[in-house]
Amino acid sequence: MAVPDALRKPTKRKQVDEEDASPEDLQATGSLEMLSDEEDAGDTSSDDGQIDEFPEIFDGSDSDESDFDEDEEDESQEDDEEGAESDDSLHIFPKAKIVVSEITSQPKTVYPEIEPDYDSDSSTEEDPNRVGNIPMHWYDDLPHIGYDMNGKQVLRPARGDELDKFLATVDDSSAWTSAFDKNTQTEKPLTSEELDLIRRLYTNENPDANYDPYEPMTEWFTGKGKEEIMPLSGALQPKRRWVPSKWEKQKVMKIVRAIRQSRILPSKPKATSKFEPYAIWSEPSSSHPPPLPAPKRPLPTNAESYNPPEEYLPTEEERKAWEALDPEDRERDYLPQKYSSLRLVPAYDSFVKERFHRQLDLYLAPRVQRVKLNIDPNSLIPKLPSPNSLKPFPNYKSLQFHHSKSRARCISISPDGAWVISGDESGVVSLWEITVGREVKKWKFEGKIGALAWCPRMDVSYFAVGIEGAVHFIIPPNVDPLVLSLTQSILAPTTLPPPPATPSNVKWITPPSNTWSLDTPILTINLPPSSGLPTHFCWHRRGDYLASVSTGGTQGGVWIHQLTRRHSQAPFKKIKGAVQSVLFHPLKPHFFVATQQYVRIYNLSEQKLVKTLVPGIKWISSMDVHSSGDHLIVGGYDRKLCWFDLELSEKPYKVLRYHSRAIRSLQFHPTYPLFASSSDDGSIQIFHSRVYNDLMTDPLIVPLKILRGHHVTDGLGVLQVKWCPKHPWLVSSAADGSVAVWCS
Amino acid sequence: MGRLRVKGKAGAAKNYTTRSSAVKKLQCSLADFRRLCILKGIFPREPRSRKKANKGSSAPTSFYYTKDIAYLAHEPILKKLREHKAIAKKLSRALGRGEWGSAKNLEESKPTYRLDHIIKERYSTFIDALRDIDDALCMVFLFSSLPSNSRLPPELVENCARLAAEWQLYVMHSRALRKVFLSIKGIYYQAEIMDQTVTWLVPYMFTQNVPTDVDIRVMLTFLELYQTLLSFVFFKLFTDAGLVYPPALDTKKDEDGAGVNALVLQDSSRQMVLPTSVPSVEGRQITGKIVRQVIKTIDVSSENSTPDVEMSNAEPTTVEPEEEFVPQRSAFDKTAHAALPTLQSISTLPQTLSISLFSPYVFFLSRETPRPIFEFIVRSFGGRIGWPPSSGSCSPIDEYDPSITHVVVDRPVVTKQETPEQRELRLRRKYVQPQWIVDCVNAGKILLEESYAQGKPLPPHLSPFGEYEGAYIPCEEPSNKERIQEDQEDSAEESEAEEAGEAVNEILAESHDPASLRAAELAAEAAGVDYGAFEATIKKASKKQGKVKKVDLVEDAEGDMNKMMMSNKQRKLYEKMKYSNKKKETERQGLESRKRELQKQKRKAL
Repeated sequence: MAVPDALRKPTKRKQVDEEDASPEDLQATGSLEMLSDEEDAGDTSSDDGQIDEFPEIFDGSDSDESDFDEDEEDESQEDDEEGAESDDSLHIFPKAKIVVSEITSQPKTVYPEIEPDYDSDSSTEEDPNRVGNIPMHWYDDLPHIGYDMNGKQVLRPARGDELDKFLATVDDSSAWTSAFDKNTQTEKPLTSEELDLIRRLYTNENPDANYDPYEPMTEWFTGKGKEEIMPLSGALQPKRRWVPSKWEKQKVMKIVRAIRQSRILPSKPKATSKFEPYAIWSEPSSSHPPPLPAPKRPLPTNAESYNPPEEYLPTEEERKAWEALDPEDRERDYLPQKYSSLRLVPAYDSFVKERFHRQLDLYLAPRVQRVKLNIDPNSLIPKLPSPNSLKPFPNYKSLQFHHSKSRARCISISPDGAWVISGDESGVVSLWEITVGREVKKWKFEGKIGALAWCPRMDVSYFAVGIEGAVHFIIPPNVDPLVLSLTQSILAPTTLPPPPATPSNVKWITPPSNTWSLDTPILTINLPPSSGLPTHFCWHRRGDYLASVSTGGTQGGVWIHQLTRRHSQAPFKKIKGAVQSVLFHPLKPHFFVATQQYVRIYNLSEQKLVKTLVPGIKWISSMDVHSSGDHLIVGGYDRKLCWFDLELSEKPYKVLRYHSRAIRSLQFHPTYPLFASSSDDGSIQIFHSRVYNDLMTDPLIVPLKILRGHHVTDGLGVLQVKWCPKHPWLVSSAADGSVAVWCS
Repeated sequence: MGRLRVKGKAGAAKNYTTRSSAVKKLQCSLADFRRLCILKGIFPREPRSRKKANKGSSAPTSFYYTKDIAYLAHEPILKKLREHKAIAKKLSRALGRGEWGSAKNLEESKPTYRLDHIIKERYSTFIDALRDIDDALCMVFLFSSLPSNSRLPPELVENCARLAAEWQLYVMHSRALRKVFLSIKGIYYQAEIMDQTVTWLVPYMFTQNVPTDVDIRVMLTFLELYQTLLSFVFFKLFTDAGLVYPPALDTKKDEDGAGVNALVLQDSSRQMVLPTSVPSVEGRQITGKIVRQVIKTIDVSSENSTPDVEMSNAEPTTVEPEEEFVPQRSAFDKTAHAALPTLQSISTLPQTLSISLFSPYVFFLSRETPRPIFEFIVRSFGGRIGWPPSSGSCSPIDEYDPSITHVVVDRPVVTKQETPEQRELRLRRKYVQPQWIVDCVNAGKILLEESYAQGKPLPPHLSPFGEYEGAYIPCEEPSNKERIQEDQEDSAEESEAEEAGEAVNEILAESHDPASLRAAELAAEAAGVDYGAFEATIKKASKKQGKVKKVDLVEDAEGDMNKMMMSNKQRKLYEKMKYSNKKKETERQGLESRKRELQKQKRKAL
């Protein structure tokens, strides 16, 4: 853009707009060309006041902005004037003088004459080397460094070694402000201008010392005296420029009308900050039920008084204990204190905090409605018939029999209820009288005695003894000759029954009749090897079958021995879980098998599973069936006793947990409504258990007596309990080697 | 086959909403949600199974009823909160742009919400509201004593103070105060209004400071609700009592520190309310309720007949008419009193008496006693009270007024020279400590002033609210027998045969048959215990043991065994009950034993 042209011609509207919109651009261009156009400052005065002609280009809403712009312009104009004055003093170029020409009598600018001396131009400076701007290393191998004006060689100046250079820098104070001149091959001190340039470059300034970043704007088209007074074009102004708008008026009038009709509120009435209560409960409330009121805080007690009775004051230990507790765990949130008079009572420091916690409770705590029980706790204990009315039951220890060395693991009572056999872990089986406790006979076996069982038949008399890998049948001494002969004929018949079709690995051995004595067994069943110790025996009620459970062996270690046929069979080929105990049903051909967690009932005649009972015990230790055959009790090592009604579900009817240690053994009395359980805690618990014939009445279980008297040794207590079939008497064997008889 | 059920569409999963999902549903911030919950009284619920309620997750969250949240979604306040949020955004933008004019407009047009409908919803009847103002009163009394700061504008504190004063004014006017308890936390007051007991706690007159771990925003939200609730409740109470609400505030008096007296009660209808519905006495047919009503009308009429006197007793000129009126009022009371024993059960007797407990007396507070507390108490029970100008202006009674009967003093006795006039004054008045007033109020009768005299060690101050059943009762004197036993014990101790006595006790404890008794007797003789003391110990031991043994042998054994047959649930309940009973019992016994020790120490010191 040629600025002088634009100034002299009347500028076009569009250009003016542009310039208004971008004053900075204008300033920038102005400053660029300022140097050359200094002279025109005076000439522009003739174009004043052209712009003011067209105020309608500014919208009403923009009036603030335009004012602002004008202000800015004014300021910049003032700045400009000041800047112009200061400019003169700063100018390094020759100052121009304005003189009135003698010829034309017009003012003209006269520049001073340029003198071509040292100051005037650097090109006039004498430089001896006239090679020009060529790479000086071309002369590196030559003795001269170039040629002077007359074509003579300029010889290379003498240069010392590094030490000389260093000494020169030390001696010469101006050495650090000098640089190596390639042209003359000498050190040349820098001029002050050059140093200044370096400094400026170093500090990131503009290298030009004369550059003024804050130069005032040069006003070319605006400002005082430059307003354009003439329109830019000669065309007539359109009517809309000077007639008020009809549509605008209509719009405004619409708003005015709305305001008059108070459809529009120019400023909304302030919401009345003053709150006025009124009779809010005078109108009926909604049918909506109100929420439950929040629970109130408990009322203060005597301990909270400022002057409580002295006994409420905490002792030193109580105070320490209170302070050591977490604030949440404290029963009271304050310590009782005593002040001798009211004026000494201080402010309660956690008053605000307490209120805050109350409020947190109100809006953060879930509320639960609880019914407060105001009953005597003893009324919760079930009312059962008194044990006194349920006599007889074993009440006291009448006598005790001792196995000298080791644990009395197993006992058995003869079916007539007069004799007891007890076996211990050292292999001794003792026969003694239940009423007296005197030992009649003693047998000694190899290894532990695992189980003992007296044959339930009344017309014969013998018992089975289980030791490692074998079952021995022994006839007790002092038996009626009739019974003896019958027993011998059963155990060792003169004509052996035909051997089974399939050969069994269980051997039935009877010693020859001439070697029979009271000390040796009359019949021995050798169980297959690795079958282990028989731990449990169970006779069928007829006395023909004996079931045994051993610790090892295949088929779960369960064998059923039939004496008349002298044959043993394993009822299960494979069984899940370790078998703990087996039982014959007293009436039906059913067989109970207790594995570790389940009790299975098999029908032996149909060879199928009838039922599986789930006692919920981790490890079953023992079980017994009621003589009616409808009820089963199962005891476990996890202290539980489950009562099953076999008519009902496979879940226990009642689960009792009263022993503090594992239950070892339990048994129903065959005739009396009693059962007993023994445990490792050394106690025996006697229950009354009445079973009703009608199906509607639940069995009645009443705890009768806790019998204590056995000692716990090595964590083992009473290992086995057995009832005397004819009397309400109990025989128990314990780990301390004692066998006790409990009488009513 | 039943209908297929989609999981999470019914039951607990649908009925409960977690807090975060509630916030998401309401589309408001957590702070707004909190505010809404506080205002609407919605609180979390505990589902029976947290897993079922939270789609199988057992993360710790709080649950709300979905219906509660749906109910919140229609809340007008929620709308206002959203509007406020929008305005706040606009305002911040205007401020950022420096558009001060529009910012000012926005600031003025900020939405405000009202809580009337919430009060109506939460408390459908007036009784409901009255039942629930305990916390509101506590908060208002607390905030009326807090220093104002940037978060606590002075107007708020002022409003709280006004509400507190109005409440006190109403309680004094209706003579509703029943019990007062000076505790270490503050003063508990209990009033009975419309058969509802209202208990509130007022801190002692010290500046409370708000700890940093207390979220003041929560408290302010509660306070917002409570202020509205209280103003509605007071409006109803005042208008029902025939008074103008709000009572006019005399600013000049207020500036002078008149406290409650700065508020002027006005009758809404200037005419006297005569006891129009006094039922004629017809023998037996009159119930206690009617009598109470009669008394109330009498009270109200007696109050109404002197409303100006009662409330504007700042002018000394009006003191005399009031004085004249005092016997008249007591005459009213006497008639009521005379009618009472024939009509009403004796249990209500002390209460009706205690309403005008202090009416025959005139009190003067010395300057170290807190005036607002005792002015409130004394005036609620019909007494007249004055105070020195250092405790505030508007005292109706001068210090040298001859009618003063009691001076409440809370400082040690100092002997000093006194003029004969002062001496005469001193002898005419009774000087009591502040606790006397409170104990009188709680006892419902005027107690002897002797033990509460100035400088004397005070008798213990007990809670009038009672304790749980079977708790330790401190003022219960040990019964005669026990006392004799104790005396004997003491004498035994004095004869220094304590060890022997213990030995005897031990032997007795072991067994109880005659042989061992004889052995014990011998042992006692050997130890040098005289026969009387020995017999006494035996009696005591046998008394203890007879009971214990019988119970032990017969019932406990059976009971213990019968416990086996309890179901698990019952056993747990039983054990819990036993535990709590035992805890209470040990607490009681601990207190008793400590009291005995203290008494022994005292006796020894004597």
